[in-house]
Amino acid sequence: MLPRSVVEELRTIVGREAVIDSANDLRIFERDGSIEGALPDAVVLASNTEQVAGVIKVAAHNNIPVVPRGAGTGLSGGAVTIRGGIALQVTRMRRILNIDPVAQTAIVEPGVVNQELSLVAAQHGLFYAPDPSSQKACTIGGNAAENSGGPHCLYYGVTTNHVLGMEVVLADGSVHWVSGDAPDRVGLDLCGVIVGSEGTLCAITKIKVRLLRIPPSIATMLAAFPSIETASQAVSAVIGHGIVPAALEMMDNVTVGAVEAHYHAGYPTDAGAVLLVEVDGTAEATRELTAAIGKVLTDNQGYALREAQTPAERELLWAGRKGAIGALGRIKPNYYLHDGVVPRSRLPQVLSAVGEIGEHYKLPVANVFHAGDGNLHPNILFDMRDRDVLHQVESAGEEMLRAVVELGGALSGEHGIGLEKSAFMPWIYSEDDLGAMHRVKDVFDPKGTMNPGKIFPDPSRKSVHLAGRTGLAIEAKWW
Amino acid sequence: MVTTPAVEKPSTADELARKLQEAASSKLAVVPVGGGKARGMGGAPGRCDVELHTTRLDRVIEHSQADMVVSVEAGITLEALQEELAKAGQFLPLDPFSSPGHTIGGLLATGWTGPLRLRYGSPRDFLIGIRVALPDGKVASGGGRVVKNVSGYDMMKLHYGALGSLGVIVAASFKVFPKPLYDLTVTSEGGWDDADRALAMPVTPAALEIFSDGRVLARFTGSHDAVDRVIGDLGWTVEDRSIWGRHSGRSPARWARIAAPRTALRGLVEGLPRGAGWWASPGVGVAHWAIASDASSVMATRAKAEAAGGTLVMLAAPDDFMREVGAWGTPPATLEIMRRLKRAFDPDGVLNPGRFLI
Repeated sequence: MLPRSVVEELRTIVGREAVIDSANDLRIFERDGSIEGALPDAVVLASNTEQVAGVIKVAAHNNIPVVPRGAGTGLSGGAVTIRGGIALQVTRMRRILNIDPVAQTAIVEPGVVNQELSLVAAQHGLFYAPDPSSQKACTIGGNAAENSGGPHCLYYGVTTNHVLGMEVVLADGSVHWVSGDAPDRVGLDLCGVIVGSEGTLCAITKIKVRLLRIPPSIATMLAAFPSIETASQAVSAVIGHGIVPAALEMMDNVTVGAVEAHYHAGYPTDAGAVLLVEVDGTAEATRELTAAIGKVLTDNQGYALREAQTPAERELLWAGRKGAIGALGRIKPNYYLHDGVVPRSRLPQVLSAVGEIGEHYKLPVANVFHAGDGNLHPNILFDMRDRDVLHQVESAGEEMLRAVVELGGALSGEHGIGLEKSAFMPWIYSEDDLGAMHRVKDVFDPKGTMNPGKIFPDPSRKSVHLAGRTGLAIEAKWW
Repeated sequence: MVTTPAVEKPSTADELARKLQEAASSKLAVVPVGGGKARGMGGAPGRCDVELHTTRLDRVIEHSQADMVVSVEAGITLEALQEELAKAGQFLPLDPFSSPGHTIGGLLATGWTGPLRLRYGSPRDFLIGIRVALPDGKVASGGGRVVKNVSGYDMMKLHYGALGSLGVIVAASFKVFPKPLYDLTVTSEGGWDDADRALAMPVTPAALEIFSDGRVLARFTGSHDAVDRVIGDLGWTVEDRSIWGRHSGRSPARWARIAAPRTALRGLVEGLPRGAGWWASPGVGVAHWAIASDASSVMATRAKAEAAGGTLVMLAAPDDFMREVGAWGTPPATLEIMRRLKRAFDPDGVLNPGRFLI
């Protein structure tokens, strides 16, 4: 609970109805897309930069944690108010302020939905490249905070490669523009440091992004493989041939079954794994590349090769991929998803380790992921109503990440460290590495009020998942 | 003024960190040196007690061909790295001016790039891991050896282009690229209009440079058929690819880099003194000016560049000229945050004093 005086101060800044502090309403903001939750003391719905700055100033003055929050689709607990305080909701800041078709840039507020920007930019023949699977709902502000990826980042790069500049509010309430649209700025690259900092350095209130020309031709192919291993070999072979497709995605047999049952997109359900490959460019380029890729795939045991013949067919294939995790609900109601990254050539090893861990814990695992980047997405499927299973799920996930790290990988490719993986940071970084990162944190947020408890290991936290309300809910058999 | 500094050439990262710590604890001014190609960049150094050379840190730590990832020590030259990568048909898409002889650490610290930035971006886009020696003797890493990574803060961005002001880069990992399937260079005499026409083609050039004499040089890579069609549509003359090597060798003695939003670059370059020698990457928004006029012309151009949201940075000049125009121009409004970062990493200000903004 915040002191009444603080709540009143917040109401003066954003308006009475824009501060939520009734117990029932707060529950809506308890979680993001990950498992653990914690109630905020108040939710503030900000409408502009001045309000964000005002709220952060009040918070700083009273030493109250502030957690910026977009659509809440994050998968690592980044938007969870683990130490209570204020959830600073920016989804009312949803204007596209400017699209400059000549410079190929856009300036947006942080609450603009990812896909909406591409839809509007399409009027000018342009699109915004980073395309997380949650792009129908997730916000550009959240994407910038998490440095989000997506299937097409294989060729086009992740969010940080597309953010030209940002307006940010620091922990002391001061407002700054970092970088801009000219290259080679003078001084330190603050913008580059802030992208991906998960709201722990500042709040983002405007984002200037690069837009790209929509390619004249797009070709989407599907190929079946007898196993995950053979599909992984094919991935390495395609890239080894000097071809970097726009996207190169893999789905295993479990995922394909669920997706096909839901979308009827014509995925081969008998396959051990399926690759979805997309190339774009001129008509000549896509023709040449599809032929070359088709040959590499069939040379590597690919079969049932199929190219989408119409835009509708292409969209259906992608709907299956991007909706895959939802479709997994047909198997079990809950999923737990990690997104470790390995060097691409280690995919067969890490996937067989993931399979073994799933078998050991008797938990079904569905893999659907960005194979070209080596970015895994093993979905551990379970039913939260089974009260013992969550510990098992958590342990299985941890073991999978262990396998990733042992193969020279990293903890997260695009979902962020957040709450979920902060305890594992010492697996990949030394005390000195983390110490250097902490110096950055202390410069931006000396009092530690910006999204506390994220990224850096917190020795006071023991059990990760049962600390939040989810644990209470299970105890109380709410399901 | 500059007295004769001690010259240290450590052969391991740990030794370098130790030398740095020793100097820092005695509050000696340390100037990191790689290939020495960018020594003219930045303010004339106020002090230099120790030159800390990275040139003996010149190993390829690991080149994983299948993963298209390479890790190197900072003192390796770009040419030596390219030679290693070429064995696997791969390359680092970096062709900086004033080549050859740049070290990887120097290129990361200065942020120098070349024409290929149009297609591939700068190392900011393909640097995936970094290891940096800090003045307190600690050696801190960020990133890793995978091509996509959001584990912790992006420490690569913190040090890229920071001119060694926060620490000395001792190793780096990159995502590398396959050599293009087809790579053709063409030229025209058509100036800005031709440059704009080429940039609007359905195949964006991998590199496009325009010169003060109106010549345009473009490099198209990728699909054979698509490149041939585009070049046919343009009707330009095919040129030998070796011309890019000669172009990257440019290194004027009085040298300014103008960076601006792409839409503003042409106006800025056309406003240079009559007869000025320059070349530019209009698709990137960067122009290089070989200055033959006086300091006031540089300051006037800088004022225009800054008004357009850009910068004019001096890459080389005699000391007195550099002092007159200043290396960096108007500092950004976020200077105070940058100074706080400097204090957090280099509290005694021993690294490159007077040379960078902070």
